[in-house]
Amino acid sequence: MSESHSHARELTPGDLRLPESSLFARLPAIGGVIGLVGLGAAFGLSSADHHRIDFWMSLLTAFMYFLSIALGAMFFVALQHLTRAGWSVVIRRLAENMSMSFPVFLALFVVITLGSGHIWHHWMAEGAMNDPVLKAKEAYLNKPFFFIRAACYFAFWLWASWFMTKRSASQDESGDVSHTRVLQKWSGPIVVGYGLTQTFAAFDWLMSLDPHWFSTIFGVYYFSGSVVAFLAFMNLVIIIMRKGGILGHVVTTEHQHDTGKLMFGFTVFWTYIAFSQFFLIWYANLPEETIWFDHRMHGGWDKVSIALAIGHFVVPFLFLLPRPVKRNDFLLGLGSFWLLVIHFVDIYWLAMPPHYVDGLKITASNVAAFVGVGGLFLAAFGWNLRQRNLVPAKDPRLAESLHFQNNWG
Amino acid sequence: MAGENKLYGVLAEFESPKDLLHACEKVREAGYQKWDAYSPFPVHGIEAAMGQKPSPLGWMSFIGAITGASLGMLMQWWMSAVDYPLVISGKPLFSWPAFIPITFELGVLFGALTAFLGMLLLNGLPRPYNPLFSSERFARVTDDRFFIAIEAADPKFRTAEAKDLLTKLGATHVELVEGQA
Amino acid sequence: MLTKNQAQEQQLQLSDPIDRRAPLILGNPSFNKITEDICRPIEGKTHVVWWLYFFMAASILSILGGALGHLIYNGTGIWGLNNPVGWAWDITNFVFWIGIGHAGTLISAILFLFRQKWRTSINRAAEAMTIFAVMCALIFPGVHVGRIWVAYYMLPLPNQMSMWPNFRSPLLWDVFAVNIYGTVSVIFWYMGLIPDLATIRDRAKGKIRQIIYGFLSVGWTGSARHWMNYEKATLILAGLSTPLVLSVHTIVSFDFATSVLPGWHTTIFPPYFVAGAVFSGFAMVATLLIVVRKAYDIEHIITIRHLENMAKIMTVTGSMVGYAYCLEFFIAWYSGNPYEIFIFKNRAFGPYWWAYWTMFTCNVVSPQLFWFKALRTSPVAIFIISIFVNIGMWFERFVIIATSLHRDFLPSSWFYFSPTIWDILTFAGSFGLFFTMFALFLRFVPMVAIAEVKSVLPQADPHFEGEMPKDDPSPAPARKAVAESEEEGDLMPATAVARQGAH
Repeated sequence: MSESHSHARELTPGDLRLPESSLFARLPAIGGVIGLVGLGAAFGLSSADHHRIDFWMSLLTAFMYFLSIALGAMFFVALQHLTRAGWSVVIRRLAENMSMSFPVFLALFVVITLGSGHIWHHWMAEGAMNDPVLKAKEAYLNKPFFFIRAACYFAFWLWASWFMTKRSASQDESGDVSHTRVLQKWSGPIVVGYGLTQTFAAFDWLMSLDPHWFSTIFGVYYFSGSVVAFLAFMNLVIIIMRKGGILGHVVTTEHQHDTGKLMFGFTVFWTYIAFSQFFLIWYANLPEETIWFDHRMHGGWDKVSIALAIGHFVVPFLFLLPRPVKRNDFLLGLGSFWLLVIHFVDIYWLAMPPHYVDGLKITASNVAAFVGVGGLFLAAFGWNLRQRNLVPAKDPRLAESLHFQNNWG
Repeated sequence: MAGENKLYGVLAEFESPKDLLHACEKVREAGYQKWDAYSPFPVHGIEAAMGQKPSPLGWMSFIGAITGASLGMLMQWWMSAVDYPLVISGKPLFSWPAFIPITFELGVLFGALTAFLGMLLLNGLPRPYNPLFSSERFARVTDDRFFIAIEAADPKFRTAEAKDLLTKLGATHVELVEGQA
Repeated sequence: MLTKNQAQEQQLQLSDPIDRRAPLILGNPSFNKITEDICRPIEGKTHVVWWLYFFMAASILSILGGALGHLIYNGTGIWGLNNPVGWAWDITNFVFWIGIGHAGTLISAILFLFRQKWRTSINRAAEAMTIFAVMCALIFPGVHVGRIWVAYYMLPLPNQMSMWPNFRSPLLWDVFAVNIYGTVSVIFWYMGLIPDLATIRDRAKGKIRQIIYGFLSVGWTGSARHWMNYEKATLILAGLSTPLVLSVHTIVSFDFATSVLPGWHTTIFPPYFVAGAVFSGFAMVATLLIVVRKAYDIEHIITIRHLENMAKIMTVTGSMVGYAYCLEFFIAWYSGNPYEIFIFKNRAFGPYWWAYWTMFTCNVVSPQLFWFKALRTSPVAIFIISIFVNIGMWFERFVIIATSLHRDFLPSSWFYFSPTIWDILTFAGSFGLFFTMFALFLRFVPMVAIAEVKSVLPQADPHFEGEMPKDDPSPAPARKAVAESEEEGDLMPATAVARQGAH
């Protein structure tokens, strides 16, 4: 422990740029190709029944999944400024680059709007408003307002991620402390805006798939999962980069240990939120609410529900609890990979059942859409990695981060 | 208090955490086994300097928590579904979701008790008598001074050598402490 | 009062020097100075102001005794309860007090896990507050059952009816949650106290004092081998207390949310109650510590920076609570369920509109004032706002409970609850218990965690390169020589022994 104190770490110019030969530098090309091919395949492989609902739902699911990583990254960046965190400076730029992928999601959302009438047909379809319950919410659930809201969410996300990344990157040149000051000042309002936009985005895009159903905690549910997914993705990026000799002596086991602890903590938080939602609805047993869980307890979805409880809580909880696991590249990487997988199951479980009430059906289009959207997301991430330094080189708290040590835990 | 004039060990006083940490590294290197450092607050990095093994408390507490949670679930199952089965609000006799809160609470209770009692057990506390308390200067260990005591029971212990070593390491005061270990 | 040097450092703290971290404790104190400053209030003569405070608190406590005696003798009919409002002030007070407690655990456990070192100056007092708040909270569910002599039916003990408690009832989960929370909080608090009790033991000059503090400090020597297990135990207790504190208010929220009553049954309740609990608890910590730091002259240990941080947490948690208030309204409307819509309209614009808007103003609007730096760094402003938050959070529970109950599904049962004098006296009396306990805490226990504060001083780092700060030479009473005329015992020639004598 004490040895690492003695030789102070310094940034070298080589730490700041991505080597051209690295996998990450090639992500824009590779990811772009995979993305377009994947999306094409998702369309081509989808069943043509019901206006290609197979394709549209696959796209929405993959969209909500990768969007959650970008949103988690944006939240993380804002939170670091809000809390004046020192430990995380060396990994903050990675999160900034992940959050800069919103243009891709905007483009994908434009595609999704083409199928919106099929995806949200329970309330968008002709005659849906004959249902008195839906009629009562028409002031919220109507197409124009729906798209205006979506535009607002994207406007805010694009602005906030751009603002935080731009300021941070400008500091790389000038070393001006005032950037940090401005970011700290604005991080508060950004977190507030983030909380509202992501809550209502979750209501609009996932909860309204079943427009009769409502749950006040739903926004928090999506949030908890998104932070888990972001941290898991962050861990994998760090581990793979360090294996490839990138950021090798800048980001250390200590930082990894911390993101691992956070990931563990947010896994438990997700469980808390998921259990609260399930439990209150189960206990009160009101038909208008239990119908949502009822869909998820029959026809194969029951197995998915059980898999979520075990795979999103029991397994990662026990696996990530011991300290040595979080300090080991392979084991932490394995845990992170597992959580990324199970988070997809979670989003799938949230989105799909209203359209597959008869039973769970995993289609080729599901897989292809996942690969496609994932490819585009990775392409955006890789493209952003190339745009600026890998580390906020002149952040005033860089030294604190470089020398960061976990004293315990 | 034991009145026999038996040598307990050598007690050395240091001014700062830095001096203490440095001295600990050297005392360990000198090969002593039965010795300890004393400070008003935990000094970071001292476990490594002294070569201490990690505390087993984490595992103990984990086992405690699992035991508590299991007993909690078992108790509720037995009382609600076996010994006094009664259908309430249309719920199954073994309505496990409703039993989770108490299961969790009992897990925490057992885990916390194990952590606290385990800490006392591992440290051999409560310990009302300690030969070091006979040193007037040692009273400052809970205020602003740092100490190392090498016990006479250590196989390598020679009074003069231990005194010399500690003096050389920058102790501001070295004394002999008597009493039963 | 701060010295000039300390005031300058305070300026540095508040200006947020981004290129470095400002010291947490002002005036570059030596380890000994910390010991002296914190031990002084429990070693000197009892101050007359303390006696005044103590007698006032104890008199209010005696009111509680009277009110509870009357209640036990006559039954809950002395309160203003009537169908359909079967719960009102009793449960409001219970939730109010248990919520207050949550800040102490948040500070000692969650801020510990997040490495917030500023926590060390305030955690001891906040945890003490937790324990006293849990004591106050336990009174209400205990007595509201009416026949308190059969209260043991709530525990899984074999009884003459040979039946077991109903484990499907949220009220029973409460019994477990609150008692376990109290127990674990006491363990955590006491464990944190052990090294500090040893400090008092080593400074004590009276025999009785030595024996009592010696007994309580279990023979602590500050051994590094002990510290290692001790720190591990602290970490484990923090790790266990974090979900525990969340679970306690979650389970309290289940008392309401598992029902099918509009206004009670909503899925956001668990995290919303937890945020509200932390919010109210921080308000209470701020209220208490703003007075304490002034009265005991420890403004260099509990600095404005500490208050500012607490104000920020109040803004965060207050905003979460505001988020939940608004979402509840939105989802009530979005549900399309006329009963849901009715109950929320009734909350804001029905007979209890005044309670609702008091709650909303105090809890949602007032903490937003802390966005202004001038207000969140002013002890007076924080004190005033924290009082508003305390009021608002009591009203929140009252609004949730009373407005959801008083307009039943059956309009002929509608009722307007008003408290009787006994409702008011019982609640007022619970403050007597709280403040009496707090008075005893201030007099007999180190109100700041001595060992923990020392560990965040710059010179505590073994890699510290500067000069060790000098002990305060002037008025600092020498060790073991805190002259206290009325105490007897083996008085030593203190200065001689401690400083020079042993050479």
